[in-house]
Amino acid sequence: MSKRNKAAERAARAAALKAERERKARRDRQRRLLTIGAVVGGLLIVVVAAVWLQSRAGDIDETATAPEGATQSYGLRLGTADAEHEVVIYEDFLCPACKSFEDAYDAELESAVEEGRASVEYRPLDFLGRFGDYSQRTANAFAVVLDAAGPEVAKEFHDLLYAEQPAEDGDHPDDAWLIEKAVEAGATEADVAAGIEGLEFEAWVSNGVKAATSAGVQGTPTVMVDGEAIDASTLAEAIE
Amino acid sequence: MKQWIGLVARLITGGVWIVAGALKLPDPSGSVRAVRAYEILPESIVPTVGYALPVVEVALGVCLVLGLLTRVMGVLSALLFVAFIVGISAAWARGLSIDCGCFGGGGEITDATAKYPWEIARDVGLLLLSVWLVIWPRSRWSLDAVVLPPRAGEVSPGPGEGEELDVEAQQGR
Repeated sequence: MSKRNKAAERAARAAALKAERERKARRDRQRRLLTIGAVVGGLLIVVVAAVWLQSRAGDIDETATAPEGATQSYGLRLGTADAEHEVVIYEDFLCPACKSFEDAYDAELESAVEEGRASVEYRPLDFLGRFGDYSQRTANAFAVVLDAAGPEVAKEFHDLLYAEQPAEDGDHPDDAWLIEKAVEAGATEADVAAGIEGLEFEAWVSNGVKAATSAGVQGTPTVMVDGEAIDASTLAEAIE
Repeated sequence: MKQWIGLVARLITGGVWIVAGALKLPDPSGSVRAVRAYEILPESIVPTVGYALPVVEVALGVCLVLGLLTRVMGVLSALLFVAFIVGISAAWARGLSIDCGCFGGGGEITDATAKYPWEIARDVGLLLLSVWLVIWPRSRWSLDAVVLPPRAGEVSPGPGEGEELDVEAQQGR
């Protein structure tokens, strides 16, 4: 009798323990799923918010001030609107291939503008930010000079910057040098110094980069003639 | 031992993700151009991927370093590395000369072909570390061990085992 009782008691206790362990396992599983759900949910919220901020940063800043004389497309256009061809050049003042392009085709483009064969729009880009802020500072300085001294001086400044382009991955000239070049191009120091040092058209420059990126511009120089990207070596025929 | 290797794998892959993502965060347009330069994804999703990638990389890296949802993050990390290896190989095979854009930058460069093998080797190494974490996600000093209760069936040292023995004893074997 007592033996049987004991056995039954043992079995009951074992069953109770087993049930207790199962309950605990179930609770643990629930807690685990809840925790994972909370972590995943939190992560998703943070990631989605950050991606949204990133895409906002890629949007055009409508409040940016444009330099006087600039085009709506973040450039400087030389020549008349009724010219036969419309040339657009995306370039970065630090890019060696842009310097090669300028060395080879600047004279050609100038005469094309003079003869009314083409209008040429220079769109300065800050594409080489990985080498420092020279690209940004020069694009801004170009805008400052355009704003303060007009298209011709700006073009001259542009030519000077390419003629004396620093090595892409070396040390880059400072703002004082940019101001010096602006004066050499024909600007008045007092008119450009503050704008160059203070990155006056930073937002406009950054808008230009965004617009070029949206337009699918991959690298510099990108040369377009009448809306079509062309190989620079065929430029002469394209604007004949 | 495996848990220590897991820790090292977490710190290396996580650290690389954080650095790679953080370098790209300040230049969203640059990231879009880097993605576009591969000429693989359709133009309609290039901007989204370009904006999202740096964010995902940083989030993934932080989770790995902390040891949070290690297995899930290991899977995500491995998938991304596979995607990058495929992307770089495809660019190489098609004769594109682009910066991989792995740590910012991106777009066309001149001497890319010399860099592709090394970039792929690096990504393969990181892929292997990620796969390790998928197979053995339990590692030292992970947040998982703190916030997540042990999975049913997992051996948890301490009271659990004691109970087990107790029951057997009481069953009078």
